[in-house]
Amino acid sequence: MQLAATGDTWGIPGPTFLLIYFGAALVIAIAALVHRRILFAGDRSARVDQLGPQQIAFLNGGEQLALYAALGGLRAAGAIASASDKTLCQSGPMPGGVTPLDTAVYNAAGRRIRAREVRADQWVSAALLQLRDGLEQAGLAIPRAKLRAARLWVLAGLALIALGLARLIDGVQNEKPVGILVVAMMAAIVLTLTLNTRTKIRTRAATKGLSAVRRSHEHLSPRQSPAYATYGAAGAAMGVALFGAASLYTMDPAFAEEAEIQRISAGGSGIGDGGSSSSCGGSSSSCGGGGGGGGCGGGGGCGG
Amino acid sequence: MSEVTTTTSYGVGIGWRPEIAGFVAGLPGLRFAEVVAESVHAHGDLPPGLPALLERGVTVVPHGVRLSLGGAEPVEAARLEHFAAVARRLNAPLVSEHIAFVRAGGVEAGHLLPLPRSHEAVDAVVANVKLVQSALDVPIALEPIAAVFDWPDDELDEAAFLTEILDRTGALLLLDVANVYANARNRGTDPLELLDRLPLDRVAYVHVAGGAEHDGIYHDTHTDAVPQPVLELITALCERHRPPALMLERDGDYPPAAALREELDAIAKAAGYPTVT
Repeated sequence: MQLAATGDTWGIPGPTFLLIYFGAALVIAIAALVHRRILFAGDRSARVDQLGPQQIAFLNGGEQLALYAALGGLRAAGAIASASDKTLCQSGPMPGGVTPLDTAVYNAAGRRIRAREVRADQWVSAALLQLRDGLEQAGLAIPRAKLRAARLWVLAGLALIALGLARLIDGVQNEKPVGILVVAMMAAIVLTLTLNTRTKIRTRAATKGLSAVRRSHEHLSPRQSPAYATYGAAGAAMGVALFGAASLYTMDPAFAEEAEIQRISAGGSGIGDGGSSSSCGGSSSSCGGGGGGGGCGGGGGCGG
Repeated sequence: MSEVTTTTSYGVGIGWRPEIAGFVAGLPGLRFAEVVAESVHAHGDLPPGLPALLERGVTVVPHGVRLSLGGAEPVEAARLEHFAAVARRLNAPLVSEHIAFVRAGGVEAGHLLPLPRSHEAVDAVVANVKLVQSALDVPIALEPIAAVFDWPDDELDEAAFLTEILDRTGALLLLDVANVYANARNRGTDPLELLDRLPLDRVAYVHVAGGAEHDGIYHDTHTDAVPQPVLELITALCERHRPPALMLERDGDYPPAAALREELDAIAKAAGYPTVT
């Protein structure tokens, strides 16, 4: 043992290196945090309470929830229905005052597209992109460029891991104790994974505004068993936007099931928040009762 | 005898239900609402939407459905305590309950059951109402319920039965015109006859609800539209003595907002009160 202690690895004593290593990790964490606060601040003067249901839904749960809000609104208006073969169909005229996304979804339903494939429809995805662009310009959705900029800090994290790995290899060869170094590297790995944000959707300004809108629309929460017929299509869409796909199950369980709302959400990829809002816990699917309107609920009525 | 007769006039109101809380919140002229007392926590959070109504100055009256005033047993202390606490919580100028029983001998019926109109039943109701009054800081209004049948050994008719209970307790009357209509229609009697025999100056407020006919019997469903004869009965009632408030009671199968607003407007028109929509 005495022989092995010929010198410190890289000429730096272990405790000193660990101090530098932890210090560097801390500096990266703080710098990344500050950078993010600036990047993700958004426009504080932007008004969330004046947005439409689909915009609210996008901020709350990304493209997937925006699409669900459109489906909920069109369904409540009696414009679309589902069939037992999981396809959508048009069951009434297109309601007035609709958004481009509504139009795209309605037209997709006219082509008897499968509900889970609606998001991939070129007109629907173009409308979703347009929705996102508008929110980015308003300072409510985080622009993709800023999200990429925030993720550049992953490189610093990776450098930290590489440094630790090099020291680990040399330390082991040098027969030095490396236990604490391994712990430090684990911390660096966790930090790096944390910095690799892909799913953040909304700016801080939007988060603040969103909770205010949620409070003022608490009557649309599935916990209140809202009378969707009374609140109309806009209320139904807003319920989905604020309280997630569970609202669709409360409103029209047959439609939600046939449109594979739950499955799409569970297997959602990419932008989906993955947060509580878009996960459609089955708890609410038990109620429902006489929800929903005419159309071809129950399956066969789509005249396929 | 009329020391607690209400003088404040509220106009047209609506039964607050969580399902339509957003609709109720959006009625600009609303000054009167009723909430099921058992759905309000005495100390915890109020149901979402109610605090905003109270802040607006809307009078929210707790409406009990589980006290079982007509039961042979005294009203349960815990239920009474909750009822009184909710009244204080809502700062309500009055409360209401039904002249009915919901449990007997420890068995819960699950809904409101009519009492036989006997002197013994009057005694039981009066005892319970006095017990409730002793726990309350505000007047109570009593609501007779719709009965599809009459008990075979009724000693009193509806008007005498109600008048005796009101006289002996000093309580107010919560008149349900849809019930009056349903009872008269199902028995083939004239609803105005009952109105003329009731102490209309003691009516605290009025329930208005819709119903539907099935197999020749009119049911006071609270899930259908208010029929025209009920609106006409409102007009006849208001010609005799206009109550301080009339409220729409809708308990399910809620229609689009526009239809609900139309019903509220129709009640306002029938009663000669300003619209609240």
